[in-house]
Amino acid sequence: MSARNTDVSFGWVTRTLHWAMAFGVLAMLGFGSYIARMEVGMSNIWMFGVHKSIGIVLFALLAVRIVWHFVSPVPESLPSGVGWKDRAAVWVHRAFYVLLIVVPLSGWIGSGATGLDVLVFNRVTLPPLAPVSEAWEEAAFAVHFVATKLLALCVVLHIAGAVMRKDGTMARMVRGA
Amino acid sequence: MRIILASLCVWLTAAVCGWAMPLTYALNESESRVGFEVPFGPDQITGTMPVRSADIALDFERPANSRISVVLDVGNAQANFPFATQALRGPRVLDASQFPDISFVSNTIEVRADAPSQALLTGDITIRGVTRPITLDAELFRPAGRALGEREQLFVRLEGAVSRAAFGASGWDDLVGDEVSLNLMLRIDLVE
Ligand code: HEM
Repeated sequence: MSARNTDVSFGWVTRTLHWAMAFGVLAMLGFGSYIARMEVGMSNIWMFGVHKSIGIVLFALLAVRIVWHFVSPVPESLPSGVGWKDRAAVWVHRAFYVLLIVVPLSGWIGSGATGLDVLVFNRVTLPPLAPVSEAWEEAAFAVHFVATKLLALCVVLHIAGAVMRKDGTMARMVRGA
Repeated sequence: MRIILASLCVWLTAAVCGWAMPLTYALNESESRVGFEVPFGPDQITGTMPVRSADIALDFERPANSRISVVLDVGNAQANFPFATQALRGPRVLDASQFPDISFVSNTIEVRADAPSQALLTGDITIRGVTRPITLDAELFRPAGRALGEREQLFVRLEGAVSRAAFGASGWDDLVGDEVSLNLMLRIDLVE
């Protein structure tokens, strides 16, 4: 089993990153919506810390993924034979990279703008990325809100595209080839 | 003759004023504290704030002549979990770096007819530089084991509530309630 990607297959590093982030993002979309709407009290305020911690891990995994794809470029998508489908797939993939930067970054900016420590894993305090200001906080969380909805839309399109095509695309992300 | 008159005057003044003279007390900071409580979802955020200083004079014959003023130390306020402590001291709530004190000054004191150790205190409280009237329930206690009528060491308890919004201290009002209840317990010692 190869760690590296080839011209036609995904190595295990890329596949592990893909599935770890897939489960992470899916879980975070649900979890984020839950914490944003729950009645906050002593018994559940810790959930914000968990959300931030997982979000920062996903952000770090994205950085690893980008670096790794420079080291070991991914194979080209298999052509479906339908032009708009191929173009849609490429744009959804690009949107994932943009949104997986914008979503955690806006969460981090908004959290820091509250003036409270951005504490992950109950021990690491991240530096604030914006001044303490309600305007920054509101703007950042508005971005976080919209970007997470776009991310959810991309997830739906991505999964629909992946399960609908029967050309081995799914198999090479699951098993490698 | 003049000397006799003068000394008589001094004596008379002292005698007359002596009864009405309020007794001055010094604050025992380490045994005094302020507790506060504010709704937080289904729970309460609770905490304490040290008392920085107090100026207390009690007139047991004419209680209306008593005065109580207290200054609290905002920068060392402490809540029951770290985020709340940080939020409390920060710019959206008490803004301790700009406004390091909360102060209360009494205006009127009205002893309850049915309970002479209890009184209604009106005065002004200043939070974040904003001064507003407040009414506090006051009660005097002797430390356990002290004989009736001893006044050397006393506890003063003050209780009341403030609206955060009235002082511009309304940060996180989507999560944390507006009304903060206050409970001050001051240990005071008679100044000889
Ligand atoms: C890939 C990573 C992330 C995903 C998928 C994600 C997803 C979400 C979602 C779906 C919401 C609910 C938005 C709404 O409907 O109101 C949310 C809320 C929130 N997120 Fe994230 N998030 C991520 C990363 C982060 C990070 C890194 C932070 C902070 C360091 C963060 C802080 C927050 C906060 C504080 C809220 C609650 C906002 C509110 O109460 O309105 N998130 N997140």
